[in-house]
Amino acid sequence: MQLLDTATPKPPTDGLGAAHRAAPPKNGRWRRLVAGRLSYLYLAPLMVLLLLFVVYPIFGSLAYTFYRWNGIGSPGDFVGLDNFRQIAHDSIFWRAVSHTFVYSIVVVPVQLAIALVLALVLNDRKLRFSAFYRTLFFLPVVTSPAVVGVVVQLMLSNFGDTLNGWLLDAHLIGRPVDWLGNPRIALGIIIVVGIWQTLGYNLVYFLAGLQTIPEEVYEAAKIDGAGHVRTFVNITVPLLRPVGLMIVILAFIGSFQVFDLVQVLTGGGPYFGTEVVNTYIYHLAFGGNQAAATEPNVGLASAASFFYGLLLIGFSVLQVLIFRSLAKRRAAGRA
Amino acid sequence: MALLVSSSRRDRTPARRRAAVRRTAGRSLIHLLLLVGGLLWLFPFLWTLGSSFKSADGFFSRGLNPFPDGVHLSNYSGAWKGASFGTYFVNTVLVAGGSVVLTLLATSMAGYVLARTDFPGRKACIGLISVTLFLPHGYTIIPVFDIVRGLHLLNTLWAVIIVQSSSSLVFATFLFMGYFSTMDREIEDAAKVDGAGFHQTFWRVMLPLSGPMLATVGLFTCISAWNSFFVPLVFTLSKPELRTLPVGMYSFVGQNSTDWTFLCAGSVISLVPIVAVFLLLQRYFVNGLAGAVKG
Repeated sequence: MQLLDTATPKPPTDGLGAAHRAAPPKNGRWRRLVAGRLSYLYLAPLMVLLLLFVVYPIFGSLAYTFYRWNGIGSPGDFVGLDNFRQIAHDSIFWRAVSHTFVYSIVVVPVQLAIALVLALVLNDRKLRFSAFYRTLFFLPVVTSPAVVGVVVQLMLSNFGDTLNGWLLDAHLIGRPVDWLGNPRIALGIIIVVGIWQTLGYNLVYFLAGLQTIPEEVYEAAKIDGAGHVRTFVNITVPLLRPVGLMIVILAFIGSFQVFDLVQVLTGGGPYFGTEVVNTYIYHLAFGGNQAAATEPNVGLASAASFFYGLLLIGFSVLQVLIFRSLAKRRAAGRA
Repeated sequence: MALLVSSSRRDRTPARRRAAVRRTAGRSLIHLLLLVGGLLWLFPFLWTLGSSFKSADGFFSRGLNPFPDGVHLSNYSGAWKGASFGTYFVNTVLVAGGSVVLTLLATSMAGYVLARTDFPGRKACIGLISVTLFLPHGYTIIPVFDIVRGLHLLNTLWAVIIVQSSSSLVFATFLFMGYFSTMDREIEDAAKVDGAGFHQTFWRVMLPLSGPMLATVGLFTCISAWNSFFVPLVFTLSKPELRTLPVGMYSFVGQNSTDWTFLCAGSVISLVPIVAVFLLLQRYFVNGLAGAVKG
């Protein structure tokens, strides 16, 4: 969502800026600096916070990638590119990458499909209580993934009238399932909860996109005798494409950063079976319940994180290129 | 349908009436599906709410049944006092409130001068802010930790507030910049004629006029700070009494794995305030999201 908002606003034509510009520009840079002093004062809090807590840390962590360092004192053991080499050869890192990709590849399409269907239903102007239903399905978004993780853990615990009990009674399973103890099933649970928790964003995005399609277009289609399916394929889908592209990219960016849910539900376990990249990095930097055998290594964690950052940038570029070439081919086909 | 429309007595034909009945039936079916689906969708919350009133025995015997075996309010007093959820609650309120105030102050002031005034370096500042969106945001928590230590803010809630706020600064600044740049210049001119200086124009005129944007940014910041897990987790590792609700929940599971009903009460304490805030102000939240994707 941030990517779209980077457009710079219209430069101020003649507002307060001119009023407070005490001298005309030709009187030199210094006078203009003095004239703008209040602007600098107002900008200062943001710039200080940004430089200290956003810009410097990005470069600071880059420097750590060249050291073996447990995070205490100052880094001394320079190892060059060893950390990157170690990450690239760590099978657990690559398993974490593959778990993160599996998570994203399942969550994004399923979630977008459900969100689109819901948005189409709720976008009907004649449907009453549409806003109420939207709120209902949106609600999980405003709750904490950590708290949700704890709740899900409680719901899956083996007490009384449980999911296992129901499934056993229905003879769907032969013996109780260890929901969070089996890596594959645990990853599945994380995926389901992930879909549930962030679906609301995409619902609202799709509704916003649908509302940009003018009602007259639908009426024209109706007059031309187009049915629901043809209207959807020939009008809704093409007109929704620009917003849809943004939604897909945002959904992938979000899902690649999954952390809270995994950390709370499984901590990346059992035996790294649900380790995603962000929990892997966290365990490297702070030590963890299962990576406890190794001492925290901030240099290695920074290297892993930087490496993953590069992978993601590569993926984003690839994504944009694929979309662009698809659009070009479609345009060529139409011509 | 085309045939029906051309019929002169279209409302009275049986076919037309049948179509209307079918449409009503279809609508009702959609409502039914949405309602049942919505209830299932919110089941985890309903179950948590119900289970927070269960007795310890009731919790074990009832499992996924959301209805409690009584109203055991002692879970709430137990969670609040015994399990420190009262402390966590106060911490979370302070973190969310502090983040909202800090973010709104820093970003509205900056957004205003970037949008409405001209000064040397303005474009460079906008450029710098934009670039931070595209730099690979790696694992920057360790350098941040160092700076917080250098400022002697380690083991204070200020650390959580400042670090949490800094995560959403850029986005909020752009929102304010966009909002202020669309405002009418005549408003400023009128303020100037009335003798308002730079400060008065901003604090008395422009800021009050940006109410909807204050609400949008404030709500976004409030929700993300209330729910934040990673930042408070890292900055309270050695200070359990500074934990926020999500971190408190997480560590409670790790330590006392028997007081399940307390945990449910704790979940309700964590969820209800933010859901209430959202329901009151959701218009601003949803409009903000929709605006972001429409570009």
